[in-house]
Amino acid sequence: MTARVLCASVCVIATALLAQTPQKRASNELDRAEALWKAHDYEGANTVFRELVKAHPNNPDYKVRWGRLFLDHFQPNDAAQLFLEALAIKKDHPGGLLGLALVAADKFDGKAIELADQALVVDPKLTEAYVLLASLALEDADFTRAGEEADKALEVSPGDLDAMAIHASIDWLADKPDTPWIGRILAQNPHYGHAYELAGRFFVINRRYEEGIGYYRKAIAIQPDLWTAHSELGINLMRLGYDEEARSELELCWRNKYQDDPTKNTLMLLDSYKNFVTYRTDNTILKLDKKEAELLRPYIEPEMKRALATYEKKYGFKLERPVQLEVYPNHEDFAVRTLGMPGLGALGVTFGYVVAMDSPSGRRPGDFHWASTMWHELSHVYVLSATHHRVPRWFTEGMAVYEETAVSPDWGDRLDPHVIAAIKDKKLLPVAELDRGFVHPTYPTQVIVSYFQAGRICGFIAREWGYAKLLAMMHDFATDATTPQVIEKELSMRPEEFDKKFLAMIDAETKSIVNNFDDWKKGLKEVAELAGAGENEQVIKKSETLRDAYPDYVEAGNLYERRATAFLALGNKPDAIQELEHYARIGGRNPDTLKQLATLLVEAGRPADAAIALNRLNYIDPVDEDLHRRLGDLWFAQHNIEGAIREYQAVLAWKPVDPAASHFNLARAYRSANRLDDARDQLVLALETAPGYRAAQKMLLELSQAEQGK
Amino acid sequence: MKLATVLLLLASTADATTFYVTVAGLGGEPDYEQRFTGWAGEIEAVLKSSGGDAKIETLKGAGATRANVRAALERIAHEAKPDDALVVMLIGHGSFDGVDYKINLPGPDLSASELAALLDRVPARQLVVDMTSASGGAINTLRKENRVVITATKSGTERNATVFARFWVEALRDPAADTDKNDTISALEAFHYAQQKVAEYFESQKRLATEHPLLEDTGKGEGVRDPSAANREGLRAAAFPLVRLGAASAIANNPEKRKLLAKKDQLEQEIDLLKYNKPTIAPDEYKKKLTALLLDLAKTQQELDQ
Repeated sequence: MTARVLCASVCVIATALLAQTPQKRASNELDRAEALWKAHDYEGANTVFRELVKAHPNNPDYKVRWGRLFLDHFQPNDAAQLFLEALAIKKDHPGGLLGLALVAADKFDGKAIELADQALVVDPKLTEAYVLLASLALEDADFTRAGEEADKALEVSPGDLDAMAIHASIDWLADKPDTPWIGRILAQNPHYGHAYELAGRFFVINRRYEEGIGYYRKAIAIQPDLWTAHSELGINLMRLGYDEEARSELELCWRNKYQDDPTKNTLMLLDSYKNFVTYRTDNTILKLDKKEAELLRPYIEPEMKRALATYEKKYGFKLERPVQLEVYPNHEDFAVRTLGMPGLGALGVTFGYVVAMDSPSGRRPGDFHWASTMWHELSHVYVLSATHHRVPRWFTEGMAVYEETAVSPDWGDRLDPHVIAAIKDKKLLPVAELDRGFVHPTYPTQVIVSYFQAGRICGFIAREWGYAKLLAMMHDFATDATTPQVIEKELSMRPEEFDKKFLAMIDAETKSIVNNFDDWKKGLKEVAELAGAGENEQVIKKSETLRDAYPDYVEAGNLYERRATAFLALGNKPDAIQELEHYARIGGRNPDTLKQLATLLVEAGRPADAAIALNRLNYIDPVDEDLHRRLGDLWFAQHNIEGAIREYQAVLAWKPVDPAASHFNLARAYRSANRLDDARDQLVLALETAPGYRAAQKMLLELSQAEQGK
Repeated sequence: MKLATVLLLLASTADATTFYVTVAGLGGEPDYEQRFTGWAGEIEAVLKSSGGDAKIETLKGAGATRANVRAALERIAHEAKPDDALVVMLIGHGSFDGVDYKINLPGPDLSASELAALLDRVPARQLVVDMTSASGGAINTLRKENRVVITATKSGTERNATVFARFWVEALRDPAADTDKNDTISALEAFHYAQQKVAEYFESQKRLATEHPLLEDTGKGEGVRDPSAANREGLRAAAFPLVRLGAASAIANNPEKRKLLAKKDQLEQEIDLLKYNKPTIAPDEYKKKLTALLLDLAKTQQELDQ
């Protein structure tokens, strides 16, 4: 091409561009941005949108579309900012409202429904808002409303594939595999994998992971480049312990530039598994981080087996295969396991036969009762298994909370200030709607409140109708019965009537503290001030009735610890002991306080009770050398040799400050258990560290002489 | 290990005295005030109960003034002999302005350079344990030959209130700190104990560590977190007895036992050598040889004790 021809071509294009109106140019640019987006060129689309918004700063539509690009590109916060900017220009912009609803829905925030409803008031033909409402209803397992919302979308837009996919999902969730809806979808677009992907998501949210995985597989079978489905497939395979296939799916996403946080974090988590060690028994698979495996295994594995044996008896059936328990010392690794899941998921999570939870070393001492969490999650394994994962969230959570308390009263949920506030503000949900409190909370503490309520409901049923009723309800849920149907069948009353009875019980139990909570808080503050001023007698006098007004309170500033400190300052050890024993019985978990109680009990000549107090800490904070050393000594003196061996082994598993004495202690215990070779090995290890250690030398000689004398 | 034992024996001459000066500085708030004076009181109680020829002075509360610290150290400077030992333990808040370190005391503060000048006049070998915030800023001023310096922080910029003192107190009374089981807790053993406990404390609280203890005992180093033969730090601290836990063994001057002592020394050296060569020996063979040596050593010790 000659220079002249080139110049002519450029001039023609430039003239053509100049001839366009600003609106036409903007429309072309918008089309270009959308095309780049569709081709997964997010950077290119972002550049075009940025220029477009710069050129038209007062156009809310462009901001909304740019926001949707961000939402699609795993940047919900940036997206929300653009939606808010759009709404600042036009306060009822339906796209802006819908965008915010989508951001909220992504976080399982209850505001999503309200925002989608607002968008529909402005634009009743916004099909995407109906589909969102249908999805939210399905997340709450409200099939009726989900169907109604999907129908509304189809009235506006009869060919809407996502609305049809909602109907298909409803059918599949209700075990109707021959739904006509999928045929209609595929007739319109045989490669619309999103229909199956949507179903996969609802199955996973309803904890039907294996089936969810099946739908993700179908999605990618008809649309191989649906990377969102590949990623979800990988994540859920990882959740169920199919690590190799999970990695393969996620790496495929990565290579194809689908690199959102869940994909990246799950790949990193899979990489971290090389730091884990796996222990197997006939019914357990325990995965522990190498650095703490030796310390934790002797506590976790027997407790896990005890829980499984208890549940097998209680629930009346045997699990089909071993349960896998993964224990994460790094909370961030555990958090990857719960990413994209509704509910609190803060301590442990169950995926069928796989349970993941924080390690006690991953939390501040006293914040976390690992054994209670483990029993809670293992209860889910049974309930989910018995119901084929068709159980409402409130029931399985309620059973799990109830079982924690059944193991030991101090393990379970206590009445905490959030619950008191919820009861006072009449925020407890009707039983038929309690799932909403877990999945789409409308206030920050609603998930915690819902756990408490569900646990108390199960406790109420067990007390009033017997534990067998809970089991009967569990089996009813396996038949896809709804909460109202199950309540009516098993308790012979309508859910509303049950709610009335339950609330009356809660009211009777909590009325006093709920009505006087503000006075109690004021009193607590006054006692703290008296304690600060060293007015110990006043602390004791003022706090007695206050403590009994709200006995469940064992958190920061609690009156048990305050009173014990005051008693000790006055030299009254017996009352201090009594106060701290009360604290421990209620569920107080401060390790320093429980160790102080043990010290006082030893001083009072009650070593057996001191050992009980210290052993309680093994379920709360076993990552404590001092605890194991002291408990080992106490048990050794009480001739609980097996217990002493476990404790002394725990000391050695955690880099003790005094390795020689630790080996020697273990040697003493082995000798008492007549494990003489083990004792000798430990003595050699003790003396390797401290060759002049007289006590160890003496015992080594004694063992050697005894052997020679044989 | 062997060097430590030899120095420890030299340090335990019959008429040697250990002077202890503990200073609990200004707390500023009732909580800190209570904590600082409490720790100082606990140190005093441990030292008094451990017996021996010790002279203990504890300055706390309103009595912990610069003038009183000066007066105490001046008295010791007149009284102490080269065979004696001086242990100065500082608890409280410290500050560092980039040039000099100061411990906060009621009235005028005491700077590291003033303290160093006072210590220089004491002829005894010394251990200074500065447990305040920003204490790392004092190392360069306090370090000197024949003086062990331990600080709670690695620099003058670690300014948060420290927890080192809490675990130092624990080290003095916990037999677990006596890792070589010779009934004496050395400065090095107490340092290791407190250092490990500080690290565990921050880890268990899920907080970033705001203090990193250091030890300097060569008189010319910057202070290290891991004293070892490789960095030549810790040898003097290992030989500095801080607290005796039980009846420390008497030195056998009995000529009949000299042969046994020589044998014991020989066995200990053989054990050290075997441990040194451990990576090159098959595990079973190592265990067999070690057990034999340990049994021999145990028998020798038994004979010595008779």
